[in-house]
Amino acid sequence: MSQAALASLLPLPVAIPLCGAAAAPLLARLSRKLPVIVSVAALAGSAAVLLLEAPSVLRGRVIAHYMGHWTPVHGQVLGIAFAADPFGLLLALAAAVIGAILMLYTLSELGGLGPRELGGYACLFQLLIAAVIGAALTADLFNLFVWFEVAALSSFGLAGFFLERPLALEAAFKILVLTTLASFAVFIGAGLLYAETGALNFAQLHGSLAGHITTPDAIALGLLVAGFGTKAGLVPFHGWLPDVHTAAPGPVNALFSGIMDSLGVLAIARIVFQVYGTAHTPVLGLLMTLGLISALLGAIMALAQDDLKRLLAYDTISQVGIIVVGLAAGNAAGIAGAIYHLVNHALFKSLLFLAAGTIVHRTGLTKLSQMGGLARHMPVVAAAFMLGVASIAGVPPFNGYVSLSLIHQGLQDGHETVPYVLTLVAQVITLAALGRAAWLAFFRRRAEDYKWRDTLRPGMLAGFASLGACCVAFGVAGPVVLRRLMAPAASSLLHPGQYAAGVLSGSAKLAALRIPFDYFSPAELVSVAVSVAVAAILAWGYLRIREPLVIRALRAIHTGSANDYAAYAIAGTLAAIAVLSLG
Amino acid sequence: MIVVNYLAAVALLCIGLYAVLTRRNMIKMVMGLSLMEASTYLFMISLAYRSGSTAPVLLSPPPGQSAGSLVHGNVADPVLQNFCLTAVVIGVAVTAVFLSVVVRIAQHYRTLDAGQVREMRG
Repeated sequence: MSQAALASLLPLPVAIPLCGAAAAPLLARLSRKLPVIVSVAALAGSAAVLLLEAPSVLRGRVIAHYMGHWTPVHGQVLGIAFAADPFGLLLALAAAVIGAILMLYTLSELGGLGPRELGGYACLFQLLIAAVIGAALTADLFNLFVWFEVAALSSFGLAGFFLERPLALEAAFKILVLTTLASFAVFIGAGLLYAETGALNFAQLHGSLAGHITTPDAIALGLLVAGFGTKAGLVPFHGWLPDVHTAAPGPVNALFSGIMDSLGVLAIARIVFQVYGTAHTPVLGLLMTLGLISALLGAIMALAQDDLKRLLAYDTISQVGIIVVGLAAGNAAGIAGAIYHLVNHALFKSLLFLAAGTIVHRTGLTKLSQMGGLARHMPVVAAAFMLGVASIAGVPPFNGYVSLSLIHQGLQDGHETVPYVLTLVAQVITLAALGRAAWLAFFRRRAEDYKWRDTLRPGMLAGFASLGACCVAFGVAGPVVLRRLMAPAASSLLHPGQYAAGVLSGSAKLAALRIPFDYFSPAELVSVAVSVAVAAILAWGYLRIREPLVIRALRAIHTGSANDYAAYAIAGTLAAIAVLSLG
Repeated sequence: MIVVNYLAAVALLCIGLYAVLTRRNMIKMVMGLSLMEASTYLFMISLAYRSGSTAPVLLSPPPGQSAGSLVHGNVADPVLQNFCLTAVVIGVAVTAVFLSVVVRIAQHYRTLDAGQVREMRG
C-alpha cells in the first residue's frame, strides 16, 4: 500500500474502539454478552489496522497524517497530527492486542454480570485502550493531554466499577484526587510551553526548543514529567496505584498495570527525548533518581504485602521504575531495553494479574496467609503464575531476561555503576517477593480443603495461553525482536530530528540502529543465577523474621489518606520543577 | 494590570491546594480541586492576553479596524482559549464522577471524613 494510503488509515485504530465504546451500552440491550464480543472484534480490528502499518513503519519510516488535512505551512502547524513511528506503533499494537486478549478472558470470567454492567464495562475498557492508542500515535501536545484525560475518566469508572465494594469506592476516590492533580500539572505544562514557543506539534516544539531552554520551558518539563509520572505510577506520585489494584477485578488490574501505565511512560519518553532532547536539562538525572526510588520502594513494599493483588501492584511500581532507569541511561541499549521491558511488562504482568484474579474470583480469598496448596487444585493457574514469575525474574529463555540484560548493558555502557547495582538489588528483592508469594499461595501445605470445584473456561484458557506464549516467544526470539522491533523504536527516540522531519513532511526515514546483544553472555547468566539464589535465601529468611524497621517505616508512610498522598505528589512535582529549572 | 490576573490565579491555586492538603472532608477536597481548576483557566486566559488586544473575530471588527488589520494585528491568542474550553468540559465530567463517588462513599461509610475511609494502607 502507498504511504499516503497508510497515512490516511492512521486515525482508524483509535476510531474503531471509540465506536465500539459508544455502541457497547446500546448493544447490551440486545444481548448480555454482545458488547464484550463486539469489543473483542473492535480491538482486533484496531490491531489489524496497526499491523497493516507495521511493516512499513518498523522498517524505520515515520508516517504522519493531519486531521482534516490541515497540513503544515512553512513549518507552522495548526492541525492535529497523528504520526506513526516505530516506538508509538509498537506500544499501540501491544495495547490493542493485549486489550483484545483481556476482553476474551473477561467473556468467561465476568460473564455472569448483568447487561448494564457488561455494557458499561465494555464501554470504559475500550475507551481506555483507545486513549492509550491515541496517546501513542498523536504528535500534538494538547491532543496528548486530551487522551490523558480520556484514559483518566475511563480509569475512574473502572476503578469504582464494583460500587458495592467499599474498597473500590475508597480506591476510586484516591485515583480521582491524584489523577486530577496530575491533569492540572499536564494542562499548565502544555499551556506554558505553548505560550513560550507558540507551538503544540512535537516536531515544531522540537525545532523551537533545540537552541536553548528558558526557565518557563524547564518548569513546563517538570510539570509534564510529574503529571505523566502519576499515570505511570512513579514514586512519589504512586499513592493511587496499589489501592486501585487491590479493589479491582483481574482483567481491570491487567489493563491498568499492563496498558495504562505504559501511557505515562510513553508520554514521558516522547516529551523528554523527542520534544526537549536530553542535552540542555538534567532531566535524565531526574528520571534516573525517580526510577531507582520507584524500583527499590516498589520491590520492598511488594515483599511486605499479604494481599496478592496489592503485592503485584507494588511490583508494577518497581518494574516501571526499572523501565524509567533504562530510559534514563540514555544510550541505545538502555532505551531499547526499556521499550522491550515495557512491552514485556504488559505481557507478564497481565498474565500474573489474570492468574491472581482467577484465584480471588474462585476462592474468594485475597490474602496470601489464607491461601496455600493451590498448585494441586489449579495447575493451569499455577503454571501461568510461575511463568510470569520466571519472566519477571529474567530467567532465560523467558522475555524478562532479554530486556533486563539490555537495560544492564545500557547502564554499564554509560558507566552508571551505582544505578546498576541498585537495579540488581531491586531485582533480587522483587524476585524474593514473588517467590514468597508463589510459595505461600501454591506450594505450601494447607490444612483444610477448598470447597469449590470448577473447571477452567475456554476464554480464560485462551487468555493464559496467548499471554504465556507471547512471554516465551519474546524471550526465545530475543535477538530477532530486538533487531526488528526494538532497535527501530529506540532509533525513533534517539533521533528526534528525523522524527520531527517525518511529522512535518508526512514521511521520513529513521537511521537504522544496530544494538549488539549477546544472548549467552556469561556475566549476565551468572548474575541471573546469583540473584535467583540470593532471592531464594532472602524470601526464606523473610518468612522467618519479624518485620524489619525499614519496612515498618515504609508502611507508616503509606497512610492510606488521600491528603497525604496528594501532599507527596505535590512535593514531588515541586522537587521536579526545582531540579529542572535550577539545575 | 494583567499581573493582577496572575496573582489572583496563584492565590486561587494556593487556596485550593490548601483545602486539598489539609481538609479531610471529601466535599471540601473536591471544592479545593475545583478551585485549583478555576485557577488554571484564569492563568491560561491571562497567558492568551496581549496588551491592548481584541478578540480574534474577523466578522464585524471593532471601530477603526478592518478584518485585514486584525489578521496582522494585535489579537488575543485563541488557541489558549480553546485549551480552556476543552478543559472546562473535561472538568465538569471529572467533578460529576468525583461527586458521585463521594455520595456513594457517604452512603456506605456514613462519613465524609477521608481520614476514616482508609482501609487500604501500607
